[in-house]
Amino acid sequence: MSEVQQQEGSDRGGKHKKVRAKKSSTHVDMTPMVDLAFLLLTFFIMTTTFSKPKTMDITMPVKDNVEDKDRTKVPASQTMSVILTADNKVIWYFGQEDPAQPPVTSMATFSQTGENSIHKIILEKNALVNNQVKAVEDSVKRGLIEDKEDVIKAHKSAVKNAEKKGLIVLIKPDETSKYNNLVDILDEMFVCNVARYAIVDLSESEKELVKNTK
Amino acid sequence: MTPMVDLAFLLVTFFMLTTKFRPDEPVIVDQPSSVSQIPLPDKGVLMLTIDANGRVFFNVEGQQIRKDILARLGSHFNMTFDEKETKRFAVLSSIGMPMNKLKEYLNAGDEERKIMNLATKGIPIDSTNNELAIWVNSARKAAPRFSLAIKGDREADIPTIKRVISILQDNKANRFALITNLEGAPEAAK
Repeated sequence: MSEVQQQEGSDRGGKHKKVRAKKSSTHVDMTPMVDLAFLLLTFFIMTTTFSKPKTMDITMPVKDNVEDKDRTKVPASQTMSVILTADNKVIWYFGQEDPAQPPVTSMATFSQTGENSIHKIILEKNALVNNQVKAVEDSVKRGLIEDKEDVIKAHKSAVKNAEKKGLIVLIKPDETSKYNNLVDILDEMFVCNVARYAIVDLSESEKELVKNTK
Repeated sequence: MTPMVDLAFLLVTFFMLTTKFRPDEPVIVDQPSSVSQIPLPDKGVLMLTIDANGRVFFNVEGQQIRKDILARLGSHFNMTFDEKETKRFAVLSSIGMPMNKLKEYLNAGDEERKIMNLATKGIPIDSTNNELAIWVNSARKAAPRFSLAIKGDREADIPTIKRVISILQDNKANRFALITNLEGAPEAAK
């Protein structure tokens, strides 16, 4: 482009040589370069992904040969078993599983709303902890909690105490369930402030139970 | 126009410098979503990918560490890898080959490798031929400080996931991360 302009200048230069020689345009046509710049800009904007994958940390118990009597005992009244089965269905029951006396089970789904939502059920059963956590969060928001170590400690221990009495969830993924279900239910643990949960294998009687419920 | 062009070039430079081109992943995995906000660290992750068919792939970043891992694998399985194979291994991304096919895989061309990736059954995890345990063990020795992450497909079946977790537990790795998408994020973004 610049050459063309130069030539134009020199063409006309023939007539008014002195004047034109000084005025000859020094502008370079930038349009193609700008086009290219925007093309590259669009390309990089389109291809860049800013959202990084997120992670969910889980800790599994150390796999040692622990004898049955050394295992952590969980009070049956606080224990909720959640069995994940095929087709995104959940079977849950309260208390201990006992082959002689099958527990009363209920079905639930993974949806956030509705009657059989596992989210709602866990929230409800874990109300004790949830209320405590909510109360603390609320007072933090309203600025009622002083920024003193002992005050914060007291609130923390209040939540801890509630958690001790709160729900314990045993997650039991069935062989037919999908990884998606496991992540969903773990997610529910975070959302519903369930402090104590574990991923456990199904027992024989529970496998029967799943078969019968279908 | 000059200020606009200046800005355009500034942005171009910014995006060029910040873009990290992803190496070709042999498996496409549709991660489940969660509300978890913890981002995956940029470096220092041993990643186990489990796809919808339950195939297990192994990936770790860092060429030096990958070379180290290959050397350890080689000594365990009584295999020797020449310089070319080691270099190739160092620059590849996820690997999901049984040991008896690894050499062939490293010597194959790009196109053949794609075909092999489609056909492979992943790293064997069954108890009679538990190669994944040796992979994890070698990686833990080569990079003891790396954290472990499992990137599973939402359709992956639970027995495979449980098996992989149990292999990690056998290797004394009891803390690990499950890689998820942020809830509500578009599903297609991988």
